[in-house]
Amino acid sequence: MADKEFSVYMCGVGGQGLVLLSNVIGSACALSGMRAITGEQHGLSQRSGSINIHMRIGKDVRSPLIPIGGADAILALEALEALRYVEYLRPGGVVVMNSRVQHPIIETGEHVKDKSARYMDAEVVKTRLLQVTDKIATIDALGIARKAGNALTENVVMLGAMSTLDAFPVPDDAVEQAIKDGVPKKAVEVNLKAFKMGRQEAHGSLCNIVKCRKGFPEPMT
Amino acid sequence: MTAEDVARDGPGKAFMLCNEAIVRGALESDVKVVSEYPGSPTTEILDTFSELSTMFDYKMEIASNEKVALETCAGASMVGLRTMTAMKSVGMNVASDSFFSLSYTGIKGGMVIVMADDPQAHSSQTEQDGRPFGPNAYVPMLEPSDPTEAKRMVKEAYLLSEKYGVPVLIRTTTRVNHQSGVVQLDKLDRKPFAKLPWPHPPGRFCTVAEAARNFKKALLERQRKIQEEFEYSDMNLVKDTGSEIGIVTSGAGYNYTVEATRILGIDPSILKLGTTYPLPRKLIGDFIKKKRAVIVVEELQPYLELHVTAIAKDANPELKIFGKWTGNLSEALELSPDIVATALAGVLGLGKPVDYESIIAKANTLKTGLPDRWPTFCPGCPHRATLYALRQATKGMKHILATDIGCYSMSFLDPINYGDTLLSMGASLGVAAGLQYAAQEKIVAMIGDSTFWHAGLPGMVNAIHHNDDITLVILDNEVTAMTGQQPDPGRDYNAGGQPAKPLVLEDVIKAMGVSDITIVDPYQVKAAVEPMKAALSRKGPNVIISRRACALYADRNKRRRGEAIQSNKVDKEVCKKPYTCIRNFHCPAISIDDNDRKAVITKELCDRCDVCAKLCPFGSIKLREGE
Repeated sequence: MADKEFSVYMCGVGGQGLVLLSNVIGSACALSGMRAITGEQHGLSQRSGSINIHMRIGKDVRSPLIPIGGADAILALEALEALRYVEYLRPGGVVVMNSRVQHPIIETGEHVKDKSARYMDAEVVKTRLLQVTDKIATIDALGIARKAGNALTENVVMLGAMSTLDAFPVPDDAVEQAIKDGVPKKAVEVNLKAFKMGRQEAHGSLCNIVKCRKGFPEPMT
Repeated sequence: MTAEDVARDGPGKAFMLCNEAIVRGALESDVKVVSEYPGSPTTEILDTFSELSTMFDYKMEIASNEKVALETCAGASMVGLRTMTAMKSVGMNVASDSFFSLSYTGIKGGMVIVMADDPQAHSSQTEQDGRPFGPNAYVPMLEPSDPTEAKRMVKEAYLLSEKYGVPVLIRTTTRVNHQSGVVQLDKLDRKPFAKLPWPHPPGRFCTVAEAARNFKKALLERQRKIQEEFEYSDMNLVKDTGSEIGIVTSGAGYNYTVEATRILGIDPSILKLGTTYPLPRKLIGDFIKKKRAVIVVEELQPYLELHVTAIAKDANPELKIFGKWTGNLSEALELSPDIVATALAGVLGLGKPVDYESIIAKANTLKTGLPDRWPTFCPGCPHRATLYALRQATKGMKHILATDIGCYSMSFLDPINYGDTLLSMGASLGVAAGLQYAAQEKIVAMIGDSTFWHAGLPGMVNAIHHNDDITLVILDNEVTAMTGQQPDPGRDYNAGGQPAKPLVLEDVIKAMGVSDITIVDPYQVKAAVEPMKAALSRKGPNVIISRRACALYADRNKRRRGEAIQSNKVDKEVCKKPYTCIRNFHCPAISIDDNDRKAVITKELCDRCDVCAKLCPFGSIKLREGE
């Protein structure tokens, strides 16, 4: 398993906690003796703009950037952002996307001017993405995060869902350990819960369309 | 990774950002004095040092600018301590005055300067290539390609620095600084901090005229020795596969080259240069001697290409060299694995490995109508309110807005589109001085508190001394917000929370000779308009200070105090859709409900600055309660 490569293009909106996800996955790789590299976006990233992280696992990967058409998966913490980087997805790659849409201010500004305008929604994104892959799972990460006990764990819910993929090479226990190490002490419980609930959610969506790990789908608890 | 990983004793392994690996390299080298001004993509070096400063005994300052930071390190290194400073490409311009002299005088204790360029101008005003600083100042320069190499090169740099008595540049680019990877941690062997006696004769670090001429003679000899050493350095990597096709590359270019050869299934010979000044000319000559063609893969300017071409004149005059000059790669934007794969395939006459053009064309079709999402002001950002108030205050007043470097630089972008000039740190004031001579309109300059302390002061002195007719708006949000809310000279603390003397903007400006100072609170957005308007109608130089803490900084402090962050909501019974909360305001937390076209506020995003509520003529925006 250690020599299997996996590249995931992670994207979202500034402030959603993408960097935490890449740190968790990367630290889990370090704990498991696997090689991982990332190409991250910092600096302007907290300014409600589109952000992305290239996350790559495998002993021979060298470029921190995923080539166009080279991502095994897109993990989108916001629905529109899944579409924004679609050129990175390899043919038949998996899209795990949050159903939540954060309307860009430019779009809202246009709506003031044009009464007939409607926002682009997650359904439109999914319809468009279906033209390049049939493996798309939409997750209500905010709803699940609230149920877990903290709306801010939306990112970890999404990680939980993706971690059920058979192609995701990092062992579960290492990911859980990395979550424990990577979040503030008082937030460990709620994040682990969000992670588990994200995994359970994959049962009803992701695991119906793409090969998940043994033990999935796992029963809801 | 966490800061604890950077501080943890080795041996061991940790996943860390290259910037953290650079700090780790400095800690393993027993660095004793650190001074920096934040700037992307090097900011995490400062933040990590700052976070760890209570766990180690090094002295650290978040300096007022990069020149002061470099000089602080220079002073400590003259005495004999090991020092580090780090700056972004354009920060190097600010520091360069002393940088050139320092190469002449040299230092005693090891001094490492991290200089990070930003191809693609992700968060910079230009795509400046800083590599010419090395040869121009005769300062040795190392270029890592990943966190592991970065840590190692920092350690090598301290050894080189002390062996030759010269500061050493570590040159990186954004995709190196902001790359994480698994790094091997070595032992932390640190000696207790101790001041040293000044060991030098008078004049040792003074350079001018005859002293400068003597220093120059010595530094040429030093440069010759370092080049000789670099010819055999294992920081340069030669992979000769027997192929007559060679690739000369360095840094990020190397990463993309390796990926491109995997995509194409080819096995060319590769020379990866880690010592990019002085260049190992013999090593390069030997590499290209037996080649039919060489492709130079580097970002920005054809720096390596120029030297490979010059070396080939003697080493292999028949050699075909491909790169920027042949049009195979561009001097604009950063490289990527697909760009390099396409370029290599083109040179070698190979078929397209992947049809990138049609993938991108298809993607663009799918993205039709997808709205842009550029970085903008955060919910609760006081700048949004200041800009709104400034526009109200200047209604009917033709004016030019000279802006500066900070979050507020974004004001000229969509959808706010407000701002006329933007050059560099502190430039708003200098440009405004010229504008008021030449333009018929009122001249307004706009600068943040941190940028004012950094490089605005000389411009302020100039404007006051010449009685320039300028109104300066200072956006005082208490911190260097853009780079992550580091404390600036206005705070009562500095790196690692150590106490510091706060400077008060209005006291400093008053002492400089301007008494016409108007202070407003942008959160009281309507109340701010009239005083701003009055100030703008008076002859300058005068100053408006718009004072309110950065929302992210204020939120962090609230969380620390255990205070909840509240949010507003729209009372749809009251909303009559005037869109006052959207026009010229553009908060990411406010959108329009497609069903009834009334405004809605996203709970998770709202920071409850309450400015939109103050703007609403119908009073429809209220505190969200019981949700």
